[in-house]
Amino acid sequence: MLVKWLKKLKLAALIAAVFVHGSLIAQQMDSAYDLMARMAKASKELSYRGLFTYEFRGNLTSVKVVHIVRDGQTYERIVHMDGPAREVVRRSDDMDCMRASDMLLRGSVLKINDNNYSHLQDFYNFYTSGDTRIAGRDVSVVNVIPKDKYRYGYIIAIDKETGLMLQSVLINGQGKPMERFQFVDISIGVDLNNVAFTSELSTSDDIDVDQSDCLEANQQAQVSSSEWVPKWLPPGFVLSSYQPTDESGQESLMYTDGLAVFSVFIDSAEKSGDLPPVDANLGATVAVLTKGVFNNQRYAICVVGEIPRSTAREIAKAISPLNASSTP
Amino acid sequence: MSDHEERLAESLSALMDGESTELETHRILKEVGSNSSAPDSARSKWQRYHMASSVMSGDPVAKLDVSAAISAAIDAEDSHRINPLQQFAGAAGRFAIAASVAMVAILGVQQFNDVVPSNSDAVEFAQVAVDTAQQNNGPAIQFPSGFQPNIQARTVSAGGNNKVSQQPLAPLIQARQTVNQQHSEQELRAYLNDIMLKHSSHAALNSNQGMLPFARVTKIDDRSGDE
Repeated sequence: MLVKWLKKLKLAALIAAVFVHGSLIAQQMDSAYDLMARMAKASKELSYRGLFTYEFRGNLTSVKVVHIVRDGQTYERIVHMDGPAREVVRRSDDMDCMRASDMLLRGSVLKINDNNYSHLQDFYNFYTSGDTRIAGRDVSVVNVIPKDKYRYGYIIAIDKETGLMLQSVLINGQGKPMERFQFVDISIGVDLNNVAFTSELSTSDDIDVDQSDCLEANQQAQVSSSEWVPKWLPPGFVLSSYQPTDESGQESLMYTDGLAVFSVFIDSAEKSGDLPPVDANLGATVAVLTKGVFNNQRYAICVVGEIPRSTAREIAKAISPLNASSTP
Repeated sequence: MSDHEERLAESLSALMDGESTELETHRILKEVGSNSSAPDSARSKWQRYHMASSVMSGDPVAKLDVSAAISAAIDAEDSHRINPLQQFAGAAGRFAIAASVAMVAILGVQQFNDVVPSNSDAVEFAQVAVDTAQQNNGPAIQFPSGFQPNIQARTVSAGGNNKVSQQPLAPLIQARQTVNQQHSEQELRAYLNDIMLKHSSHAALNSNQGMLPFARVTKIDDRSGDE
């Protein structure tokens, strides 16, 4: 009798343990997910300045970054500290430009976070994996593990106090790190009010990325406005930007799943010329260029993104015009 | 593209990423060893992929293909010819080894360029040397005959030194210039620059990683800045 009772007790304990453990896992996933959501918000709303390193395949570069948000306007500047002097400045105080890029910065990214972020959990698992210290600050580490083979995973360290991302390591299907982005020093929120962010610009006109942003920013991007359509997309990716054919004959479609991003460039034969088929990667970025003949026109289709090579190749294969009479 | 070719292309990619299985590696070695220069051959693909990778990472692109010369040199070596193991394996075995050396040679050139960026300096230096030689030869005709020996002696001795240092290498490196690669390299680099920058500015807006994607373009940008 006692033995029987003991057995039942054991079973009950086992069941209880499974339940408790299960809810613990669920809790862990929730908090990891919350951390990610907080991070997305913090990266848009906080002012900070610091130094970060970017490493891939044994190459290391250091970059200085300033990100200032004041009166609803954003000023961003990154300066490469190694090699030839180079900097990128982006700001949203130019009246014409502000609408478009501001909408993309706040609208598009937030929209993906608020409306599509839940989808993110369909394609990634989020786990917290302890605390550590990055750039002298306490951080929580979140492992973002893809549920399919179409995308990479991440190990992300998020500042406990502010929610800023201080480290991001891209992990491939074999669990190997492909690139690492990590702050070594950062000051958040403090004494940034003194930084003039309008006058500094005059000294830096190396890369004017903002210009292309103004042209590219098309918040109302619809797939239907393009004559090109991917017959297959990795699940979870949505169109985030579309640029119709420009004067050079290049059309671009850009997609994101909230974390990973890839771009599709379609060039008519005139511009792409004799470009050879390409299958290349730089760190985590892969570029797959294929040639195709549609409606008796030659096109070069190039997929660029931080996605696995096989995914990029599948996408490139699936791109075709809406009214295609494909003769490959 | 046939089934076989497609599988081979996938194996090639895997090998480039260092993720190929042993079986795949052997298959590629066999294909590359066939030494075909057709644009669809594994050999051309391997070269092209590596050129593209070099362009993207901003490394100098290898224009020399020393694989054939090295394979030939190894074939010619007695120790390799009389090796009983290889006799046992027959021509296939030798072929495989030659092919793997070819692979290493192509890889080696890439690595070599990585480690020794002064390679282009050497070319420049050689160019300068040729220029000075021409300059010296030009005016030399106008000089009175008495002056000629001095000037020419200097030029010749410089050239002689160079030749001596190169002689042991000469039979090995009968480098084949791949004209097509050179031709499209500029074009490809410009194109990749362009799309990488566009992609980065898009990624900066949509990946929740802020300005991080701009850190990725440094290398390529640096190259375009150089030219």
